[in-house]
Amino acid sequence: MLVSWDWLKQYLDLNISEAEVCDRLTLAGLNFDGASTVNNDRCLDLEVTSNRPDWLGHVGIAREVGVLFDLDLKVPAADISAISNGGACSKIVQLEDEKFCPRYIARSITGVTVGASPAWLTNRLNTIGLPSINNVVDVTNYVLMEIGQPLHAFDLAKIEGDVISVRKAAAEEKFMAIDHREYLLSSDDYVIADGRGAIALAGVMGGKETEVGDLTTDLLIEAAQFAALPVRTTSRRLKLKSDSSYRFERGVDPEMIDWASRRCCELIVETAGGEVCEGRVYAGSQPHSRSSVTLRLSQLPRILGIEVPEAEVRRILEKLGNEVVDQSAGSITITPASWRRDLDREVDLIEEVARIHGYDKIPERAGVSLSASHQSDLDRIRNKVSTAMLGMGFDETLTRSIVSDVWSKAFQGWSLSEPLTTSMPMVKGEDRLRVSLIPSLLGARRNNEKFSYPEIDLYEIAKVYLPKSKALPDERYMVGITSGRGFYELKGAVEALVGSLNPRAMVTTIPYTDPLFEEGQGSHLTINGTTLGYLGVVSKSAAKAFGLQQKATVAELDLTALMKLAVLVPQHQDFSTHPAMNRDLNLVVDEEVSWSRLQDISTTAGGELVQEVTFQEIFRDPKKDGPGKKRVLFTITLQAYDRTLTGEEADATISQILAACGKETGAKLLA
Amino acid sequence: MSLNDFIKQLDDLVEAASHRFEEAIKQVDSQILEDTRVEYLGAKSGKLKEAQKGLGKVSKEDKPVAGKRFNEVKTRLEELFQSAADTITGGSSSKGKSEAIDVTLPGKRPRLGHIHPITQTIDELKDIMGRLGFSAVEGPEIEDDWHNFEALNIPLEHPARDPLDNFYLNVAAAGTGGGNQLLRSQTSTVQIRVMENTKPPIRIVSLGRVYRPDEIDATHYAMFHQIEGLLVDTNVTMADLKYVLRLFASSYLGGDVEIRFRPSFFPFTEPSVEVDMRWQDTWLEFGGAGMVDPNVLKAVGYDPEEVTGFAFGLGVERLCMRRHGINDIRYLYDSNTKFLAQF
Repeated sequence: MLVSWDWLKQYLDLNISEAEVCDRLTLAGLNFDGASTVNNDRCLDLEVTSNRPDWLGHVGIAREVGVLFDLDLKVPAADISAISNGGACSKIVQLEDEKFCPRYIARSITGVTVGASPAWLTNRLNTIGLPSINNVVDVTNYVLMEIGQPLHAFDLAKIEGDVISVRKAAAEEKFMAIDHREYLLSSDDYVIADGRGAIALAGVMGGKETEVGDLTTDLLIEAAQFAALPVRTTSRRLKLKSDSSYRFERGVDPEMIDWASRRCCELIVETAGGEVCEGRVYAGSQPHSRSSVTLRLSQLPRILGIEVPEAEVRRILEKLGNEVVDQSAGSITITPASWRRDLDREVDLIEEVARIHGYDKIPERAGVSLSASHQSDLDRIRNKVSTAMLGMGFDETLTRSIVSDVWSKAFQGWSLSEPLTTSMPMVKGEDRLRVSLIPSLLGARRNNEKFSYPEIDLYEIAKVYLPKSKALPDERYMVGITSGRGFYELKGAVEALVGSLNPRAMVTTIPYTDPLFEEGQGSHLTINGTTLGYLGVVSKSAAKAFGLQQKATVAELDLTALMKLAVLVPQHQDFSTHPAMNRDLNLVVDEEVSWSRLQDISTTAGGELVQEVTFQEIFRDPKKDGPGKKRVLFTITLQAYDRTLTGEEADATISQILAACGKETGAKLLA
Repeated sequence: MSLNDFIKQLDDLVEAASHRFEEAIKQVDSQILEDTRVEYLGAKSGKLKEAQKGLGKVSKEDKPVAGKRFNEVKTRLEELFQSAADTITGGSSSKGKSEAIDVTLPGKRPRLGHIHPITQTIDELKDIMGRLGFSAVEGPEIEDDWHNFEALNIPLEHPARDPLDNFYLNVAAAGTGGGNQLLRSQTSTVQIRVMENTKPPIRIVSLGRVYRPDEIDATHYAMFHQIEGLLVDTNVTMADLKYVLRLFASSYLGGDVEIRFRPSFFPFTEPSVEVDMRWQDTWLEFGGAGMVDPNVLKAVGYDPEEVTGFAFGLGVERLCMRRHGINDIRYLYDSNTKFLAQF
């Protein structure tokens, strides 16, 4: 809200500096956002919160200053009896929907001379950034900025017929506004209409047809109340914001509408001549009587932590324009001011007292007791995962939760349901709630490839949103990982990550086919039969779809699965202090025999002496071994808990392993 | 001599030698060690030298494999000797003089990852609040009307519920119990969920991603993070709020900080205030706060005559950007590794 300093002084004997006034206003809720000099005046920019439409006029701001500095407010009487003739407004006003328009006041003025505004009027409007148009329009704007009530002046002669109706627009009804642009209305919009059609978009803007011009002599002055929600809907849909719509959206003072109408007429006659017709039109109902609110003084220390003297409480409430209807043992009952629709509960009055009395009077009180707080398991796991990922050289990233349709379907390992969509996109073309972090991470790779960064190793811990019928979706935290390293490097990183949470957890990997993965290079990871996640080499077609030039690997792990396997407080296990013995085996096996198979057999057959079965290398020598064979070189680490193993014991164990491998896979030791 | 025989011979050699070296280690006897070295690695008549003769006898096509294996065994025996010698003498002092290296060459750096600055900021805020007794809680990012609006004293006609200002989901409202679904526009939703399921006292911080449609530019993003504190108990006042926020600000900024309240308006608190912190002679905007609105307390089944509470909320991005001098919010969500590696 832009405020003219000169204007403000009209309502108060203000002998206080601008700086002090702005300071106090800021601490009373009217945040001072800066000031500028316009001609001989000062323009103050004050930020008005949406609950205080009464501050959207100079009188309201002046009232606040009056409360803060204990000054009396002088509001013009707007008495028009001396400038009225015996005539009456010639129109009939019909309200189709009193919910939308509870009251509508029309007055007419005859014999005006439209022309330039006097300097005082032009100057004040200029100070607050409004251009001067003519003496009639300027007055309507002036009164709007004075009291916050929008007004509109129609050229009475151009209104067709005797009836003015406030009605819903017809679908696709056309309306030419005073900005000389044509708007296509919908049946949700409300218009002011004459015998021909819409002459104003209710609460938003007047129409070109009935615009006041140089030749206008008779006026119809509209002062009405329109409901907030429809005005906002229309204003937003048509992208047509005005000072009027802004105020109707926040609510006008129903008891000041007539004052505004009279004030407008008074100033028009003063600046443009003419006479007001004494008979006004009042359509709609009188404002409801306001219910009283009681403030128990004991509630002030209970909420604010300080006592405020009863006399001060009363002074504040009264000065704000509320009427004290009762003051008895420990409580004050008031009828709120008509412009304060936001005051209808005790706590509203507590806030008013606090605001004016001053929040600086509230001390810091160490009344809160000590309390234990604990880190959630989710946070602990997240920290552990991050620590592991950092150590392995991955940077954490954060990406948008909403993605494009194509990205939302690029990987559907977690859900095959149609991804959820939002009613509007987050950025152009992106309105799907992601079901996997992988596409976002591939997008992140592309962002980095653009700059030719050599190492793009990223991870993100964020949610995916899996649709669930008739319920809030299943939101699951995932750890998404992408790397320029190979399959086994990334698999190693995942294994190390799992190992950091639980050294004994065994990740089982089985092949997994998905268009995202290169054929035969995707995998499904499980732990004890539960899905942990997916890992694979990005296929050429997927890389192309994401605009990637370089090879990439990706993995996505379910954080809940990691939480399940994690050991948050590891327990010491006694370990052998005797030397371990390593034996290398070089076995020739069929190509189909997987490493995990050999490892399982060796572990099982070797018994408790086997500490580890470590893969070393695979060779292929079809000439020697025949086609479809491979040589698998691996190391068996043997150790006993209570003694140093003898060579014989080791030999015996190795023989068992060889025998089992031979029996179950046909493996032969390369002698 | 067949390849297999040759390899067998070498394997046996390693096996036997390793037993001998182990024996030397066990007895800490350098004489046994030296004897073993001569026996196996001796230049004139060591067993390895002897075995090398077999190399000449394997067939020509097997020679590469046999040669490779021989070299491996030789290296292995030398390693076994060296490691035994090191163990017995307690170090590699027996080694000859090492050659000088260019110490000015760059080190081989292991790659270390970086934590996103937003995560770092959140962690710090959580940590401070944790020390003040507030536990961090999370909740769903997709919410219903009840938790995002109704229970927070934001009625249907309130502008905050405008479809253009929220990411509503295109799902049928029926069956979800709470009306429409939307991406939460504030983390206060979590506070409602906690209060619905817990009796006072409550002392929590809720945090996470929130969403509001906005044209993305240097200072606006349609997805951002909030952290909100809530304390509900008997006898909680605005003086307590001021105290806790001052402790928070002092911890975050370090040193003497002053707190100032300016009146403001939020549907879910009353009185509502903007909080400023005075630090190094400037007032910095810190966030919004206030006393929990009685309607909110009623909505979760608390009696406003019995308990009071305060709440405050901060925008994580703003704090993070100011702390690290980040001048464009889009950097936070662009995944540019050059950006990420700075933190």
